[in-house]
Amino acid sequence: MGNGNEEDYNFVFKVVLIGESGVGKTNLLSRFTRNEFSHDSRTTIGVEFSTRTVMLGTAAVKAQIWDTAGLERYRAITSAYYRGAVGALLVFDLTKHQTYAVVERWLKELYDHAEATIVVMLVGNKSDLSQAREVPTEEARMFAENNGLLFLETSALDSTNVELAFETVLKEIFAKVSKQRQNSTRTNAITLGSAQAGQEPGPSEKRACCISL
Amino acid sequence: MNLLIFEKWIACSSSGAHPVHKEKSTHRACDVLGTGYSQTSCVFLLTVSKLEEVPLEVLRQRESKWLDMLNNWDKWMAKKHKKIRLRCQKGIPPSLRGRAWQYLSGGKVKLQQNPGKFDELDMSSGDPKWLDVIERDLHRQFPFHEMFVSRGGHGQQDLFRVLKAYTLYRPEEGYCQAQAPIAAVLLMHMPAEQAFWCLVQICEKYLPGYYSEKLEAIQLDGEILFSLLQKVSPVAHKHLSRQKIDPLLYMTEWFMCAFARTLPWSSVLRVWDMFFCEGVKIIFRVGLVLLKHALGSPEKLKACQGQYETIERLRSLSPKIMQEAFLVQEVVELPVTERQIEREHLIQLRRWQETRGELQCCSLPRLHGAKAILEAEPGPRPTLQPSPSIRLPPDAPLPGSKGNKPSKQTQKEQKEQRKQAKASGHLDKPPTPSQAKTASAAGDACPPQDVALKDPVYQDPGLQDSAHHCSQESLTSQESEDTYL
Repeated sequence: MGNGNEEDYNFVFKVVLIGESGVGKTNLLSRFTRNEFSHDSRTTIGVEFSTRTVMLGTAAVKAQIWDTAGLERYRAITSAYYRGAVGALLVFDLTKHQTYAVVERWLKELYDHAEATIVVMLVGNKSDLSQAREVPTEEARMFAENNGLLFLETSALDSTNVELAFETVLKEIFAKVSKQRQNSTRTNAITLGSAQAGQEPGPSEKRACCISL
Repeated sequence: MNLLIFEKWIACSSSGAHPVHKEKSTHRACDVLGTGYSQTSCVFLLTVSKLEEVPLEVLRQRESKWLDMLNNWDKWMAKKHKKIRLRCQKGIPPSLRGRAWQYLSGGKVKLQQNPGKFDELDMSSGDPKWLDVIERDLHRQFPFHEMFVSRGGHGQQDLFRVLKAYTLYRPEEGYCQAQAPIAAVLLMHMPAEQAFWCLVQICEKYLPGYYSEKLEAIQLDGEILFSLLQKVSPVAHKHLSRQKIDPLLYMTEWFMCAFARTLPWSSVLRVWDMFFCEGVKIIFRVGLVLLKHALGSPEKLKACQGQYETIERLRSLSPKIMQEAFLVQEVVELPVTERQIEREHLIQLRRWQETRGELQCCSLPRLHGAKAILEAEPGPRPTLQPSPSIRLPPDAPLPGSKGNKPSKQTQKEQKEQRKQAKASGHLDKPPTPSQAKTASAAGDACPPQDVALKDPVYQDPGLQDSAHHCSQESLTSQESEDTYL
C-alpha cells in the first residue's frame, strides 16, 4: 500500500477488464497473472481477480486485475466493480466485429462509474486468429487515438502483447501518480487525500496511489 | 452394473468445486448418463475419498422410503411435510435425487400441465441474439465433467436446448449467464425436458428476478444477506462494513448459481436437496455460515487486513467449512427463518425505493420451498401421477420396448424393486395394480396406461383434497425398521 512517507514506494493499482462476453477477459487475466490459458475457462459470474507484482523502475507495483461478466445485464451490478479503479483494459474480440461496435457504449459505462482520469487501453484480443479478423487494426487504432485511449492487439492464447498491454497501462498510471507526487511536494501539501482549493492535481488522483482499492 | 460401487461413487465428495473433477482417462466413471464405467477408476475414487459415507443398508432404507413418498406425494406433502423436510436434510438418495427434485420443485406438475410444450419450444428457432450468447457458454460450464466436456456432445446439446427453450418460454427474460450452471446441474440428474421445467420453477418460484434484466433481486438479496449477518456474526459484519465490501463482490456467484460453483460437489447436492424443499432461506443460511466461519473471529481476520485480502479469503474458503457434514449441520441449526428474510426484504425494498426509485422487475413474492409452491398451484390440479415406464411386476421379464428408452434409473430401480419385493415377501402374490405401480415406479418417461384404468384413484383429475384420496398403498412400511410420523 502506498504511503508518501516510506522510503520504498509500493503501489497497488486496481485495473479492471471490461468488454463483451466471450472476448477473452478472463484469459487475459490468467495469462498475465498466472501464465495460463484455457479454451474452456468458466463463464465469469460475479467478480474474479488476480494480482501480479511488476517492477517499474525501482518501484514494486502490485497490479490488482479485476474481471467480471461481460453480458449486458450484469452492467446493473458493476458499480462496486469500478470503484477505485485507476486503469482499465477495454477488450474486444477482433474476430467479432459486433464486440468492437459496442466499444463506445463500454467507454460511456466506464466514465459513468470510474474516475475521469482512469487510464484506458483499447485491446483487440485473439490476434492469433488472423484468418478470422473482422476489425482492421488501423480502424481500431484511429478510434483509440481520437478518444485518448492506448491501443494494442493481443492474444491471450499465444501470449502476444499481453505483458506489454498490462505493463503499458501500469506505466501510464505510475507516471501519472509520480507526477502528482512531484507536484504535491512542490506545493508543499501535507495531508494526503484531502483536497485543497487551487491545488493540483485533484484528490481523485492522489487517492489512486494511496489506497489499495 | 455394480450398484454398490456406483452409489458409493456418487456419494464421494470431491475436493474441488467441480463434480468429479477427474482426468480424462477415468472419465468414464463420471458419465452419469451412460452405464459403463471402469471398475478401477471407481476403486480409485473410493480409496481417495474421505467421506460422509452412508452405510448401504441405510441407503436402501432411504430409497424405499423415498419411493413410497414419491408414490404418495400429495398425501405426504399435505400431512407429513415435516418428514419430507427432514429427509431432504438427511440427503436424498442419489438414485432418486433427480426425481425427487422434480417433485419438490413442482417441475413434474408443470410438465404434466404442459404436455408437448417443451417439444414445441425445442423445435422453434430462437432469437439469434440469445443463441449467440448461449453458444458461447456451452463449453464453459463444468468443463471437466465428462457430460459437458465434448463440444457438440449430448451434454452441451441438451444445455443448449434447455437454455434456448427458456428464452422462448420467457422472451422478456431472455438468457442470463448464471442460468447455465443451474441448468447443467439439473441435466446431470434428469433429461432435458424435465430439467427445463425445474429450471422454470427455480427462475420463477424459488429465485424470481435473479436472472432478469436489471438483476435487482440479487442486489436486494445481497443487502438482506449482509443485514442478517449482523446478528449471525457481528465480527464478520463489522469487518465487511469497515472494509466497505459490497455484498455483490462475494455473494453474486454464490446465490445466482445456488453454490454450484463454490462448494465441493457432495455439499452442492445436499444444499440443493434442502433448497428444493425449503427454498431460498437455505441459500441465505449457507451464505451466512460461510461468512461466519471465514471471517467470524479476530484470528481469522488477521489474514484479511485489506479489502482485497478479505474478498480473496471469501473466494478460497477453507475446505473444512464447506465439507458436507459440517455445512449441513450448521445450515440446519442456523436460526434464520423465512419470516426474518421476508421482514428484511421489506426493509431493504423500502430503502431501495427511497434511494433508487421504483424497482423495474415486478417483485412477485418468492415461494419458500416445495410446500408453498404446491399450495400456490391454481386448482384444481391433477393428482400427481407417477409415470412408470415399466409396468410389470418385479418378476416378469423386461419389456422389449414400450416406446421409451429405458432410463438408467429404470434398470436400477427395477433391481431395487425386486430386492424390496423379495424382502417383503410379496414375490408370490399376484401383483395388484398399486403393487405393480410401486414395483414399476422406476422412470417417469411415459404416462401410465394399465395402471390408470385399474386404479380408481388416478382416474379423478378433479380430486382436490389430496389428503383424502385413499391410496391403495398402505402408509406403513414394508420394511420393519422404518418409522413414520
